[in-house]
Amino acid sequence: MEGLARNTRLVWRVWIFTLRSFLASEFFILTAILQPVIFASIAFFLFQAGGDAAGEQTLLYAALGTGMMGVWSTTLFGCGGAIQWHRWEGTLELLVAAPSRYDMVLLGQTLGASTFGFYSILATIVWGMALFGMPLNADFPLLLPVALAVAILSLGCLGMLLATSFVLYRHANALSNLLEYPIWIVTGMVVPLAVLPGWLGPISWFLSPTWAMEAIRGSAIGSEPPILAMVLCLGLAAVYYLMARRVLRFVLDKARRDATLSLA
Amino acid sequence: MTATAHTPTRPISQAGSLRANLRLFWLGGLISYRALFNWARPSIYIPTLIGAPTFQILFFAALGSYATGMDAEFFAIGNAVQVSAMSGIYGMTMAIANERWFGTLHALLATPASRWAIFGGRFIPFIANGLLVSVYGFTISWLFLGVELRVETLGVVALGLVATVFSCSAIGAVQGGLSMRLRDGLFGANLLVFLFLLFCGVNIPLDVLPGWMQAVSNVLPFTHGLQAVRAAVGGAGLDQVGGLIAIEFGIGAAYALLAFGLFSYLERSARANATLDVR
Repeated sequence: MEGLARNTRLVWRVWIFTLRSFLASEFFILTAILQPVIFASIAFFLFQAGGDAAGEQTLLYAALGTGMMGVWSTTLFGCGGAIQWHRWEGTLELLVAAPSRYDMVLLGQTLGASTFGFYSILATIVWGMALFGMPLNADFPLLLPVALAVAILSLGCLGMLLATSFVLYRHANALSNLLEYPIWIVTGMVVPLAVLPGWLGPISWFLSPTWAMEAIRGSAIGSEPPILAMVLCLGLAAVYYLMARRVLRFVLDKARRDATLSLA
Repeated sequence: MTATAHTPTRPISQAGSLRANLRLFWLGGLISYRALFNWARPSIYIPTLIGAPTFQILFFAALGSYATGMDAEFFAIGNAVQVSAMSGIYGMTMAIANERWFGTLHALLATPASRWAIFGGRFIPFIANGLLVSVYGFTISWLFLGVELRVETLGVVALGLVATVFSCSAIGAVQGGLSMRLRDGLFGANLLVFLFLLFCGVNIPLDVLPGWMQAVSNVLPFTHGLQAVRAAVGGAGLDQVGGLIAIEFGIGAAYALLAFGLFSYLERSARANATLDVR
């Protein structure tokens, strides 16, 4: 029980520390606020030019979708570099050698990154309301915070898996550049999967942003409560976390054996 | 076998001569590309300048045709041209600002070499690189989105593309100059790349934009060049789009002059205030 409390406190501290350090980063302000607002504007103009392609609540649909794109970008860049930055700063060895569990430190970092990403949804909604006259209503307002919390958790765990996988690759930022658009496409963030090639569907099922988007959008403009999406999000989060722990153990063992922990 | 003291060596051109300046322009540009462009290695180049543009084109083609009901060709061409900004903006920013970050700026500015030759030579590799990325973008658009180029207007498309990539690299050079004073030059570079997507008719037809955004788009790279390229893909000849291409070249030249002026001003100011390497 004492261990659980210690680990929870550790995750919480790192989570808050990550959030505060991202707030001081121009890059993450750009990724989590400016970029989503620009993409939201593009989507708003396009949907306005095309009439009501996405139904009555087109603008809210676009705002949530582009906001979620920002969440993914922040998670991707924040988590992709999570281990690498410690390598560059020379703090990775200290963290790994500390008696605290390193997977908990990493989880706090990645949860912080995904939480920071949710500024994106706030930014695109405020932008849509202020400049495009977007109406704001939620069909299931009580479910919305739950959907957001589930989305943060699932993206944080996916980010942890990314962080541990990227560490084997010297140029994690290049992989982050590569993976931004494909996930926007394959998880149906602004273009429904129904209008994309059918073979993308099965890929999207294994990606938690698909269900996170479904849960958030379902709570706001859905016809029924998105319970299944939330459950799948949580299930995938658990799978990602367990996979990330295994990968992390393997990577750290290998790095210790080969004496390459600090080699970036 | 090693060289001896009697081995004849090529005479070094006298600083300031035309030959020295041309040499500096050409070799300096190539060396700066290899030394300062962080992405000039396959492990970064392929994901960033080949992979990301591929998915950018596919993403906006899907979004644009879904949201507007328009043909994917409009979005494919727009993005196939805009992806050259990856080289033009980020590359030029790095080619100038990294001199300071890598600690070579003071050595560079201590030389009597022509600033025009130093500065101008940096454009060439990034223009070539931008063209390469755009040509790749057109290939993706042809393969997956059915964009067809006509042989008879291929030259006009190429000219429009060269003008656009040049003007994009020129505004990248302005950003590079500014980055010599900023803590994080890539912030502005990222912002510029995203703003092109919004303002320049890459994804949104210009007539859909509010008046003030159209006015801004008129002084940005891409807007006129992209119109010319789209028209040429549709079959327009040089007589129809030559004016647009000339405007794009003009915008590029204006940004290049502004960038050089900024570079010169910052050099003088840094010397006067002893802030050359201050970050």
